[in-house]
Amino acid sequence: MKMFSVAHKTVFVVDHCPYMAESSRQQVECDVLTKSRAQGVIPLAPVSKSLWTCAVECSMEYCRILYDIYPKDKLVNYIVSDSEFHILNSWRREDQSTHELMSALAAVGPPNPREDPECCSILHGLVAAVESLCKITELQHERRTALMDTAERVANRGRIICLTNAKSDTHVRMLEDCIQETILDQNKLAAGSDRLMAIQQCELVLVHIYPQGEDTLVSDRPKKEISPLLTSEVHSVRAGRHLATKLNILVQQHFDLTSTTITNIPMKEEQHANTSANYDVELLHHRDAHLEFFKSGDLHMAGTSTRENGLKETVTLKWCTPRTNTIELYYCTGAYRISPTDVNSRPSSCLTNFLLNGRSVLLEQPRKSGSKVISHMLSSHGGEIFLHVLNSNRSTLEDPPSISEGCGGRVTDYRITDFGEFMRENRLTPVSESTHDPSGKLPAERAKAQLERHTRYWPMIISQTTIFNMQAVVPLANLIVKETLTEEDVLTCQKTVYNLVDMERKNDPLPISTVGSRGKGPKRDEQYRIMWNELETLVKTHAGATDRHQRVLDCIIACRSKPPEEEERKKRGRKREEREDRTEKNGNKETDDKSWQESERSVGLKGLLDKEDQESEVIKDSPDSPEPLNKKPRLTTEEVQPPERAKGPVSLLTMWTNRITAANSRKHQEFVGRASSVNNKFELYQHLKDENGMDVHENGKASR
Amino acid sequence: MPTVILMDVSLSMTRPVSLDGIEEFQRKNLAVHGLNMLFEHMASNYRLEFTALMAFSSLWELLVPFTRDYNALQEALSSLEDYDKTCVESALNGVNNLVQQEWGSACPCQLVLVTDGSLGIGKGSLRHSLQTLKHRGDDKKFPLPFPFPTKLFIMCVANAEELQMTDAMDNLEELLRLSGGDGQIFTMDGPLCMKSVQGMFGRLIDYAYSPFHAVLHCGNLSSDVQVFPRPEPVVMDEEVEPMPRTVSADLEIVGFIEIADISSPPVISRHLVLPIAPNKDVDEVGTGATDELEEEPSASQMAGKSPNFCVLLHGSLKVEGMVALVQLGPEWYGMLYSQADSKKKSNLMMSLFEPGPEPLPWLGKISYLGPISEAAENPYGEDDSKSPFPLQPQVKRSYAQNVTVWIKASGLQTDVQKILRNARKLPDKTQTFYKELNRLRKAALAFGFWELLKGVADLLERECTMLPDSAHPDAAFQLSHAAQQLKLASTGDSQYAAFDHNIVPMHTDFSS
Repeated sequence: MKMFSVAHKTVFVVDHCPYMAESSRQQVECDVLTKSRAQGVIPLAPVSKSLWTCAVECSMEYCRILYDIYPKDKLVNYIVSDSEFHILNSWRREDQSTHELMSALAAVGPPNPREDPECCSILHGLVAAVESLCKITELQHERRTALMDTAERVANRGRIICLTNAKSDTHVRMLEDCIQETILDQNKLAAGSDRLMAIQQCELVLVHIYPQGEDTLVSDRPKKEISPLLTSEVHSVRAGRHLATKLNILVQQHFDLTSTTITNIPMKEEQHANTSANYDVELLHHRDAHLEFFKSGDLHMAGTSTRENGLKETVTLKWCTPRTNTIELYYCTGAYRISPTDVNSRPSSCLTNFLLNGRSVLLEQPRKSGSKVISHMLSSHGGEIFLHVLNSNRSTLEDPPSISEGCGGRVTDYRITDFGEFMRENRLTPVSESTHDPSGKLPAERAKAQLERHTRYWPMIISQTTIFNMQAVVPLANLIVKETLTEEDVLTCQKTVYNLVDMERKNDPLPISTVGSRGKGPKRDEQYRIMWNELETLVKTHAGATDRHQRVLDCIIACRSKPPEEEERKKRGRKREEREDRTEKNGNKETDDKSWQESERSVGLKGLLDKEDQESEVIKDSPDSPEPLNKKPRLTTEEVQPPERAKGPVSLLTMWTNRITAANSRKHQEFVGRASSVNNKFELYQHLKDENGMDVHENGKASR
Repeated sequence: MPTVILMDVSLSMTRPVSLDGIEEFQRKNLAVHGLNMLFEHMASNYRLEFTALMAFSSLWELLVPFTRDYNALQEALSSLEDYDKTCVESALNGVNNLVQQEWGSACPCQLVLVTDGSLGIGKGSLRHSLQTLKHRGDDKKFPLPFPFPTKLFIMCVANAEELQMTDAMDNLEELLRLSGGDGQIFTMDGPLCMKSVQGMFGRLIDYAYSPFHAVLHCGNLSSDVQVFPRPEPVVMDEEVEPMPRTVSADLEIVGFIEIADISSPPVISRHLVLPIAPNKDVDEVGTGATDELEEEPSASQMAGKSPNFCVLLHGSLKVEGMVALVQLGPEWYGMLYSQADSKKKSNLMMSLFEPGPEPLPWLGKISYLGPISEAAENPYGEDDSKSPFPLQPQVKRSYAQNVTVWIKASGLQTDVQKILRNARKLPDKTQTFYKELNRLRKAALAFGFWELLKGVADLLERECTMLPDSAHPDAAFQLSHAAQQLKLASTGDSQYAAFDHNIVPMHTDFSS
């Protein structure tokens, strides 16, 4: 259905002239006496509805179904007509509810039978209806504004449903001519107005209501074109049950609805609570819920039956008693709002209450072949019940390659739990439009901005990170991603940093991953260096946000500096380990996480430089003052011990290596460097030092 | 979207193609060459597509049922035989049955009709089929349009000039129009030769079988992905928005939602999201496939070992039972979730919602979903015990409020009986009695059914006279008070007949 089809605007014009006060002559017995009380009591005479009451309650039923299924943007304007017209509501969205209409109808009351019939006419209402169709609706206005230069795409069509008691076919023709003329007049008016739109198409549905037992004076007539702007159809219906059926059929035709009957609903009997009988409930919904049904032609063979007057068809679906509530994501190709045909019958209300309480019901579709297929599901969402269409065909996506076979599928240490936590923190919540500041970013954009902040530094696998494996870092890591920090937040972050310093002093172990490295992995002080670098990387990505973020970074930079001798000792160790690291990396050809390593390193290096800047500026006079840039050559010996002097028992490998080395050494002349080394160390490129007088403090390789 | 290849094997396809000097070809050979090229492309770049091969002349035969085994398809092509004349209509009937049996009538399908543009003669020819279109009974309707959404590609092993000399082109255009207009007619440029047939199938591949590549973003985390099948452009309302909407090549995650909260939403299509190695250039046309085949194992092994965001996302979505809300373009959203095919295999899937600002009423407008950190208190509760979803509509539906409908006599009778039942249990049931009474009063006033008000007043008065001696004295007071109020309302006097007015219980005091 197009957004602006004739169904967008429906005007009800209901006759309120004196003759509508006439009885429909359909009597309702409302005093149902139970046997025990029947003696001696004269039952109340049956009541009968007037033509007006019949027209009003059937039109209300039409609106009820319409509003249930299209709560938005299928609008009704209700007009009653006697000696003048009374418009009971407007196109505005807040006026669109049966409660509003009922309240307005109560104020109008039933027709006054003593009013002068000569002054009264349905024409007043019909003219008002055409005028009303020209009035722009909120949706039309919104779309016209949104489309700007293509605003002419917003069409203005509508339908007039006239419930009246016409005098004759000639009378009907007179009404049609009058509407046609009014449309032409109004369209001229609309051409010069901003708030009015010319009518492009109008559908008149005239329902002639006459009392039971009388002959109709007006003949039925299918839809015919009066002019390119106006079509008209006439339905001549007896008041009461027939009118209700007619309007039910019309609402289905007008809004592309169809009917489904849920069968085999087990329901407790009111009288005998321990037994249950099976009931059927008929629901109306958009016909697309059975699109596949209709297309495949399966319809007439199995699920459908023609009811009552042969005008109405319903698709039968069978209730499947729901399992315990498992949360499952079904492949659902459509969800359509429903409205029960018989809303306050006991079976209907039992079904709807069951659904409104949060249970879902799968529905089974009987097929030609006798096989059974789950094809639909009834489920409520926030007090609205939807008929979900489930896919019951073979999937074209069956048997896809598993995600573990594709890119990244062989990696086993993803931070699945951490990312789960990340997802929970980045869940969404509705923000009311009234509280939203129109000048600011939309909530969804803010959600994306939060994702951006939270992922500035987010290693995907466990072996890429130290800090995210440490409970001690959690408070800082959670806070630093925030858009703004409070003083208290900064304090917490600083405490976290001090805590880490403390850990380092105590030499607490760190959860450094040993994946991909041989042996025990890096030494403790090297581990702390890696950890500090990573922490700095994380905080640095946020430091630019606010001064408080920057203060957290400053704190880290200040705290990680070390007393000179400790630092020196560390540096030496680090250099060696870095080298080891590198050789291992090359040996394993682990190029995959190279990019990360590189970025980590470059940031780490930058961090070092920054640190030195910082220190030279900030902590000049501190006893922790930095070591000089020019370092002395280190030829101290206590650091590295040759394997044979290692403490503890000698391993088989060492013994074997020693034996082979000894054997080999006999076969060649020893290198000059090794022969003349001091503690197995020999300074290379000594001539360079002599030439330019520079200190060379690296001569590592000799140790290995 | 499954593909059916409908290959013309009529005699006219054996017409030789005049090539100066070199080996002689039939049109059929050219067609087979083109199809082989298509199959090779699909095998390397579109291998999840199900394809069936059907040959037709005056009869049709399914040579290969829907498969992803492109070798089988190529093999079948190599053993095609020649038959009599072209009869498109019966072949289309065959396609219709085949597709509906396999995929039902909702699954969109692509039909590649390969022919030489000589469309048969006499009865059964396309010309005849189209001429008799309007003079048919319901049982012999022309098979187009198919009940399922169709893309029709007509590959003519002929050039446009040749087709325009007869009415062949007009008939093919009519055929495309009848199928719903989605698709294209391809002809060969220049002389009929291997090169021009390659060109024609190359255009088809670009048009319909090029893989859809995108980048999935979650803040700074991202992954290159292939979305399969290709998301098709969508037209929502031809009148207001005739331009089709297409899925952006940047898929941006907005945030995350629990599966229970998104609760089986309706989707317009479903797609696999397959991570692809960022540096590997996917060969579009499939040339130089041999080089690639040798390199592939090591390349794919390498790719398997480097961490990929899709795998991380998939794992966490699966463990947490959540979906990621993803933006596909302006006011168009979808969701990413883990889909298990069997117990062992699971995958990252993307479902597309209907384009628009509010695809799911129970979530509200997607652009108004914000991060929970901005809410005053966590809407999920500290222990995840609650949820801000589903959103409640402003107005309750009829079945969720106690509406009054008296269209069936039974509805009216039930409501009257309910009042009488409570009337007999006064004063215990005073509250319910007045609640039901007021409900009936409101409806009667709205429907202009004053006669009913009088009738019920009479009933209450009668109940009053029939009260047993043991009855509480309050019962009589309340009954006559209620009856009197109903009678006043039935006069339409604005003081008593106001819709929003309620009859309140009479104040009595029997305690002293």
